[in-house]
Amino acid sequence: MAEQAYTVASDSETTAEEKSSIPFPEIAIGIDIGTSQCSVAVWSGSQVELLRNTRNQKLLRSYVTFKDEIPAGGITNQLAHEYEMLSGAAIFNMKRLIGRVDTDPIVHASTSLPFLVQTLNIGVRPFIAALVNNMWRSTTPEEVLAIFLVELRSMAEVQLKRVVRNVVVTVPVSFSRFQLSRIERACAMAGLQVLRLMPEPTAVALLYAQQQNVNDLTISGSEKIAVIFNMGAGFCDVAVTATAGGVSQIKSLAGSTLGGEDILLNTMRYLLPEMESHFSTRGIDEIRKMGILRVATQDAIHKLSFQSNVQIDVDLGNGRKIYKVLDRNGFEEVNKDVFEKCESLIKQCLHDAKVEVGDINDVILVGGCSNIPKLRNILTSVCKQELYTEINTLEAAVRGAALEGAVASGVNDPFGTLDLLTIQATPLSIGVRADGNTFIPIIHQNTTIPARRDMIFTTVHDNQAEALIIVYEGDQNDVEKNHLLGYFKIVGIPPAAKGVPEINVSMDIDASNIVRVYAGVVMPGSRSPAAPLMEVRMPTVDDGHGWCAEALERTHGSSLDLVTVQKKAGH
Amino acid sequence: MACTSLSPSNNIINHSFRASTPSRAPTNNRNQLRISAVYATAEVSTQNALQTASFYQVLGIQNGATCQEIKSAYRSLARLLHPDVASSNGADEFMRVHAAYATLSDPEKRAVYDSTLFRRQTTAAGLSSTGFNEMNRRRRTWETDQCW
Repeated sequence: MAEQAYTVASDSETTAEEKSSIPFPEIAIGIDIGTSQCSVAVWSGSQVELLRNTRNQKLLRSYVTFKDEIPAGGITNQLAHEYEMLSGAAIFNMKRLIGRVDTDPIVHASTSLPFLVQTLNIGVRPFIAALVNNMWRSTTPEEVLAIFLVELRSMAEVQLKRVVRNVVVTVPVSFSRFQLSRIERACAMAGLQVLRLMPEPTAVALLYAQQQNVNDLTISGSEKIAVIFNMGAGFCDVAVTATAGGVSQIKSLAGSTLGGEDILLNTMRYLLPEMESHFSTRGIDEIRKMGILRVATQDAIHKLSFQSNVQIDVDLGNGRKIYKVLDRNGFEEVNKDVFEKCESLIKQCLHDAKVEVGDINDVILVGGCSNIPKLRNILTSVCKQELYTEINTLEAAVRGAALEGAVASGVNDPFGTLDLLTIQATPLSIGVRADGNTFIPIIHQNTTIPARRDMIFTTVHDNQAEALIIVYEGDQNDVEKNHLLGYFKIVGIPPAAKGVPEINVSMDIDASNIVRVYAGVVMPGSRSPAAPLMEVRMPTVDDGHGWCAEALERTHGSSLDLVTVQKKAGH
Repeated sequence: MACTSLSPSNNIINHSFRASTPSRAPTNNRNQLRISAVYATAEVSTQNALQTASFYQVLGIQNGATCQEIKSAYRSLARLLHPDVASSNGADEFMRVHAAYATLSDPEKRAVYDSTLFRRQTTAAGLSSTGFNEMNRRRRTWETDQCW
């Protein structure tokens, strides 16, 4: 792996056309980019195999160190000790930071990490830097991820003895399409082409579908309802899936940015209440102390999964010592909000899937947090069911991604092991701003994809010649609380009284999860669109997008607004 | 999903506009032909055939099929038509199958659909040779789709 240089091939995003026109000559590998750990798997011809690095590890730490100016990822690099990762020279948790702006609470929570995360609270990308020879060297989450992926790719190429280009990557359910585009960009920078970005629990669902298929090969076999809960360091996701005959249909998805990292921060704050102010100066000494506290807390949390209480004894130097005994109840109390949110996510997902607790056949818990007793209790008590044990909690997602990689590459298995299909659903609604500041969903949350929906809008002013289509993704009524995906203008609306022109907005999500928005104007009685139609691929926004909606409002006011056309009663 | 049941084309733009206009402009059968004459002449025959197909016919099952039969018919068709499996077809066929499944697998929507289906079939029989017939069916399908 000596030739692994920091090569960033291309910054251009792959288009759907490229994706679909390439006949797949190779089996795509599955990658699970975790907040804290990463893994790679591939269909070997008869089963899924996890790839290992030269130190025989299959779960690889997700970080990149900038020691001596040469970046090195967690795959090739051997840390001298745990604290090296916390010295400020290593960037980690990039999955939590990617595609977020500096007003985001997740970015704010990351400011207590040992490397530099600087926020100015103006809605732009945060400044991220690694400490190299006592100097902060700037980087971006995409760049860090790309460096890591380059190492991952060369590791896979060495083992598979072939070029690796196509990948299926698992992503959190709560990722916005803007964040997904950043993941795709990082992959493109590393020379990898993304065949699918798969929400993590849906990858687990595919693995489950394969396991069930082995037991029952008849397509008419009865449908099994499974609840899948995945909680790693950075995110938690829930999916409800209906499985039969190797077909996994995702009925609902729910996700949040809560993860082990939040549990860790809450617990650190409990141990050292003045933590933020204590470490705010970020001198070498503070960074070292924060690393010590972090490692000790992490260790304590792990122990609490198997014992009822734990002793924490940390020496922060200068006579500052922390000595506390934390029991399981105390730990659960400190993280009450996290656990409550997990419970409500599961309930919401069941509700959205219109599944009764009695209909559930299996409850699957995966991810780095799956040993936490409280989480296990929540899941078994909400679903009134013991946990499914036939699955490796840390490898399930990557194994599912590898299966999808083989299926999407068109691999046929004579034994029918790959007769699998995931029918995905879209986790967040997509719609436009209309009726003032209201978010009007056009494709609703949990709609099966591919999907296409349309809706008619009209003008709010007499002789309004132009209208702005502002596309958002999310589930909040107030547009500003949703993710802005992009905007464009419909022009050439013929002069007419307000409410007369019909502005048709159509949205399309294809099987590769690409969103296209089509819009055009038709005048009543007219036989053709008044102006050429628009086709816009989303997202179109780039960094600093937090400002765009405000700027549009400031510049144009309501002059380009839209309202929905009331549907006739009885439809 | 309105558009899917209307036209099995990959031409999405024509698609969505064809889909939207029927509800508002009653004379629109002719409009559509004018908006995209090439498209219409090329595909009008298959299009008619598919539009007249009921959700039961789309799934290839009997009108009185059980829930279990609906689900397994949907899964078998998904294995053939989903774009992940059949990359050449585009998404339209799968979306049509899913629309049928989404209605028929929900008891309430199925009851509503069954009642409109009955009406539609009787109307169709009564007006079998008039030009209105085609349009009538087309509109009905579109409205039913909108319900869910």
